[in-house]
Amino acid sequence: MSRARSAAYWLSPPLVCLALHWCDFRAWFRTDDFAWLGLTRWIYSWRALWYALFLPLAEGTIRPWSERAFFMAGYSLFGLDVLPYRAVIFATQFGSLILVAWIGRRLSGSAAAGWLATLFWMANSSTSMPLGWASAYNQVQCGLFLLAAFALLLRYIETGRRGYWMAQWVVFVLGFGSLETMIVYPAVAAAYALVCAPRYFRRTLSMAPVSVAYFLIHRAVAPPATAGDYAMHFAPASLLSTLFRYWTWSVGPVYLRPSYGAPAWLVAALVALLTIGLSAFAVNRWRAGQRAAAFCLAWFVFVIAPVLPLRDHVSEYYPYLPVIGLCWLGSWAVVNGWRRGPAFKFAACAAAAAYLFMVAPQMRAASRWSYRVTVRARNLVEGLAGAHQLHPRQQLVLDGVDSELFWHAIRDHASHLLGIEHLYITPESVAHIEVHEDIGDIGEFLVSGGVLAESLADGRALVYDVRNPRLRNITTLYASQPHSGDLPLRIDPSDPLISNLLSPDWYPIEIDHRWMPARAFVTMSGPPRRGLALYLNGSVTSQQLAEGPVTLKVAVEGAALGTARIGANGFEFHFSLPDSLVGKPQVVVDLGVNRIFHAPGDYRDLGLSFGLIAIR
Amino acid sequence: MQPFISNSPQRLAAALVLGAALLSPGCKRDQKVQVQPTIEEEDTPRLASAVRMNDPKLAPQLVNGFYPIESNSWRWTAKQFSVLLRPPTAAAQRGAVLSLEFSVPDPVIEKLHAVTLKASVEGTALPPETYTKPGPYTFKRDIPAGAITGESVRIDFALDKAMPPAGAERRELGVVAASVSLSTK
Repeated sequence: MSRARSAAYWLSPPLVCLALHWCDFRAWFRTDDFAWLGLTRWIYSWRALWYALFLPLAEGTIRPWSERAFFMAGYSLFGLDVLPYRAVIFATQFGSLILVAWIGRRLSGSAAAGWLATLFWMANSSTSMPLGWASAYNQVQCGLFLLAAFALLLRYIETGRRGYWMAQWVVFVLGFGSLETMIVYPAVAAAYALVCAPRYFRRTLSMAPVSVAYFLIHRAVAPPATAGDYAMHFAPASLLSTLFRYWTWSVGPVYLRPSYGAPAWLVAALVALLTIGLSAFAVNRWRAGQRAAAFCLAWFVFVIAPVLPLRDHVSEYYPYLPVIGLCWLGSWAVVNGWRRGPAFKFAACAAAAAYLFMVAPQMRAASRWSYRVTVRARNLVEGLAGAHQLHPRQQLVLDGVDSELFWHAIRDHASHLLGIEHLYITPESVAHIEVHEDIGDIGEFLVSGGVLAESLADGRALVYDVRNPRLRNITTLYASQPHSGDLPLRIDPSDPLISNLLSPDWYPIEIDHRWMPARAFVTMSGPPRRGLALYLNGSVTSQQLAEGPVTLKVAVEGAALGTARIGANGFEFHFSLPDSLVGKPQVVVDLGVNRIFHAPGDYRDLGLSFGLIAIR
Repeated sequence: MQPFISNSPQRLAAALVLGAALLSPGCKRDQKVQVQPTIEEEDTPRLASAVRMNDPKLAPQLVNGFYPIESNSWRWTAKQFSVLLRPPTAAAQRGAVLSLEFSVPDPVIEKLHAVTLKASVEGTALPPETYTKPGPYTFKRDIPAGAITGESVRIDFALDKAMPPAGAERRELGVVAASVSLSTK
């Protein structure tokens, strides 16, 4: 290969990637990104940094390099300037593309197949999210670790140089800080050795204990969920069904969505034909002694394996790494067909075209969607920064919020990054937001009509219309319209807008909670229907519990609801509400404790600290 | 003698690390987010007397029952829809004229045969009108002086029938509105 051809060979995959994923490259932040970026707020000591890096978060995951360090370092250095984050994501991807080409070339013995594998991978519809959503960078980074470790193993097998073997170990162990998927690497390495380099098989098994140890430690510090979407299901039928689903999303488009108005049966038929073609080619190569084809299938099965038990949490980007194995196999099949007679040549081209026809438009559509959503998030966040700069002492209430904006730009507290501790949405917005109780509580942001009217009247709040790219102050207009005067069903004592609903005994707000003395009152809406309960949560200090449990006494509208003993630092109670309160526009909740305490240097009579008081 | 910039990967790595270390403080910024200016109340008239459906800036005056802008010019309404308008000068003394420009689309007449539009201004009912043919119409009514008092006036429209959600269309559809206004008598 001449120098120019060599340069074109290695540089073109990154350029093709950039062209295909241009929208992803320009995307801003959304959803979980804001929560990760917000981690930086809690770093006030080395211990806090350690916790932020290694404490299990978000479904018990521990990904210090790809999530914690990536976002915290990025935010410390660049704030919300997205370009450096994108540069890191795409640079990592470019590294992976070069490795995919390099490994593909070795597996198939064809440089063209190696190059084509990168094209097949970049066009796959599972690739948009990892490249377009910063929170999915863990996939991209883990890809580099997996591919680099495997490339080092190949070099070790080729050269016998011990340095490559050691380097592979280092990359393998570091990869655990990126994504749990790294746990399968010993199986990947063993599968390759078994079919292509049996002499090294036993040696590759030496890495398995590390994966087992990681599994046991991870399980001990972050036990897996036993209920909900993240619960694991190991029934063989469930595993096979999920494997089949991800196979079809890899060979075809995610969710098997048709493009260009093609009928659904055509997508199913093409997926079936490509499956037959890939399987036939793998068998054919096996018979010809080229067993690396079987390894390509093994790569898919092993790399997808960690997510197969997540039956109820299928995600369109989970095939992103497993599909690399099928891209190697597919590109090898295409090049092999091209080198045979006209019929094979035609079949190879038709198969490649069918695959690209199915996946590329879906990948582009996902990229465009992601870009559009992040532009909306950016307009909102930067507009909020403008509003907060103009009105730093007033609370901001957003009108015209829809589902997309709420779930992608508000729910994860992007406003905290701007120093806005409380952000609100109008009651009218709530009707336009889909409820996803498993993801978050809209009520956390909702301001009731009664509280909002009062806050607007005394100038404590401003209403901004967020329907257009530029936020518009519509406070006077909004205040002039008739609105419901409902009181809230949910009282967050640290919410500055509900201060008037708390009796004067309450102490000032302390970030996310408020202390009451021995007795205090809260006014809120009565339950809208039967069967609801009064929910209370809060905390006490260890010092307070030193003399024994604290007793909390609760009454509503003068009628006792019950008492509760608080013996641990955090408490959470439900008190059933009597039917006589149903439909009452307002009720007064009476809270009292049997004992107060004084914190060192604090002369206040402290009773209890509350985080939330709600009827639900 | 070897040139300073050699092929030594160690030197290259050292240069990159040094460069990154020197550059990073320069990248630090006090301002973590770009600030986008907002449109404040003093920048725009508080309330308009006439609302064209294709003007997104006036969307907050469409209190309820209006769907998003279509074809950059109109909006479907629901069975009931309301709008908030600024009364024209001296409307409290002389009254005003309410105009709703809208169309009754073919499918509405095909399905419902006729629709009757009613309106009320701050609770004062205005004479209704029935439409039996598809096409563009202007619903024009005099508003008596006593009906308008404050700095804003809420107008509630109601159709006797609307197309219920069907198939992929999950909205209740009434008529197609183009503009609504209050003018002096």
